[in-house]
Amino acid sequence: MQGAVNHVPQPRVRARRRLAQTGEVIATLAVIFFVTFPLLWMILAAFKNQIDVYSTRLLFQPTLDNFRAVFDNPVRLGAHVWVSALVSFLTVAITIPLGAAASYVMSRHRFRGRDTLFLLILITQFVPAVVVAIPFFTLFRTLNLIDTPWALIIVYLSFTLPYAIWMLRGFFDALPVEIEEASFIDGCNELQTLRYVTLPLIMPGLLVAAVFAFISAWNEFFFALILTRSDALTLPVTMQTISGPRGPMWEQVAAAGMLVMIPILVMSLFIRRYFVEGITVGAVK
Amino acid sequence: MELPRTTPDLVADSVAAPAAPAAPRPWRPQSPSLRWLMLGPALLVILATVIYPLVASLITSFRDWRLINSPVPGPFVGLANYTRAFTDVGFLNSLGVSALYTLISVTLTLLTGLAIALTLAKPTRLNVFARTLLIFPFAVAPVLKGYSWRFMLNPEYGVYSKMLGEVFSPLKGYVWLGHEFSALVSIAMSEIWGWAPLFALMFIGALGAIPAETTEAARVDGATGLQIFRRITLPLLAPVIYIVALLKIISAVKMFDQVAIMTGGGPGDSTQTLYFFVYHVAFRTLDLGYASAVSYIIVAVMALLATLYVRTLMRGD
Repeated sequence: MQGAVNHVPQPRVRARRRLAQTGEVIATLAVIFFVTFPLLWMILAAFKNQIDVYSTRLLFQPTLDNFRAVFDNPVRLGAHVWVSALVSFLTVAITIPLGAAASYVMSRHRFRGRDTLFLLILITQFVPAVVVAIPFFTLFRTLNLIDTPWALIIVYLSFTLPYAIWMLRGFFDALPVEIEEASFIDGCNELQTLRYVTLPLIMPGLLVAAVFAFISAWNEFFFALILTRSDALTLPVTMQTISGPRGPMWEQVAAAGMLVMIPILVMSLFIRRYFVEGITVGAVK
Repeated sequence: MELPRTTPDLVADSVAAPAAPAAPRPWRPQSPSLRWLMLGPALLVILATVIYPLVASLITSFRDWRLINSPVPGPFVGLANYTRAFTDVGFLNSLGVSALYTLISVTLTLLTGLAIALTLAKPTRLNVFARTLLIFPFAVAPVLKGYSWRFMLNPEYGVYSKMLGEVFSPLKGYVWLGHEFSALVSIAMSEIWGWAPLFALMFIGALGAIPAETTEAARVDGATGLQIFRRITLPLLAPVIYIVALLKIISAVKMFDQVAIMTGGGPGDSTQTLYFFVYHVAFRTLDLGYASAVSYIIVAVMALLATLYVRTLMRGD
């Protein structure tokens, strides 16, 4: 058989290889179709008029009317963009400083019960949302917080904070302690070291944790459905109001959907390399 | 910058053990007062937003509290709410729906994820580009996943529904969300679309960790592609598949958003998952005592899953 070894592939072998390659390309294109088509179809629908949205033709006259419509009465999505942004930003603004402080201690300090405490924080991620929702619903009714952004921010902290602690600890652990030791030898105290050495180095981690917290608050639906009525509706809940007598007005749903989707898609691209690891702990909620 | 080790590295875990922790030494002053000052606020928030509702819900689950009758909690009724659950047709139905949904969505997501991973395993330029797209569906809000699939599966104008009708004519005009089983599968589809690409990313990472010599040697020894997959690829992927399946099971038990958007629990009560059932009891009929009891049954399920998950994660440390 040794004689058959040839640097130039036989024509039949070459043909078979080309066939296999074509098959692989087609399979990849099929994957791309499966992954992106629902997104693309939604985005296309956002630019269609009421007639085109009920057709599957690819050619149509694009329009911006839907974006105008969702910002106008009676849905007034514009106001809810503001609520969604406020809730998400404030959730992040509380989560990150508290989470960073706690995870720093979790990573750099040694004290009794640390590992147990850390484990308990992880386990809080498994608490079903329905259990949390019922007491908060009655509490917020008593406190007159139903239908305010504050109710949502408080509840969202129940999952963003434990998650941020869990995630940021990984970033602190990955940072070599030698850098901080050097700072100590130079005469900095712990707080100074944290302020001038550790935190600047942990910046990417803070950013990733912030994006994850933002995404989970921005996309959240269950609590927003229960704890809001009209004033504090966030975008995902507002989508339900975009319907006519024959069900959802798809062209407007799609336009509103783009508002929800685009910022998150951009952010997720930004933190792509951390996505998979982040989900492993974050998807639990 | 290294990837953060938030979890035992899924990819490398099956190949190399994590490095041993450095020997403990008093490497610098640790101020105990600073410790509790920094830890305190976070712990207080967790106490208030997680522990408080857990305890309050547990107490409520032993009471008769129908918000329609009274704004204040009613009397303690012992285990009545719990025993009621196991004779309640609605609850037992939702238990079955959730179990079936979990089975369908977990199996199909894993298979789809595996298929995508194997398709994109070879690092050609096109494949590498395709991998970048894989994170998008997961980032889409569950509500939008629901709307998107409801739109595409509409029997009159849905693009997927039409395509399927072209390929397989008996399916022309089939009302996907109007039949018990296909409604559940449709909900699962929206989730598979979100999760399978993400799982594929994890699988691709694990596939990359399989040394090329192993499969090469097997091929030289005359193994077929299927044999290599069954004997080499699959066993090496097993740890990743396990943790990914666990994640999907947890998310499947919590299915709510797409049910609310796509079917509202129907047709009949065929897509009334556990979460949707509790939502209905708690916030539509306002029977808080009973709803709390049912939600605590979900807590029990979650506790079991959490134990499995944590044990898997901790194995690496």
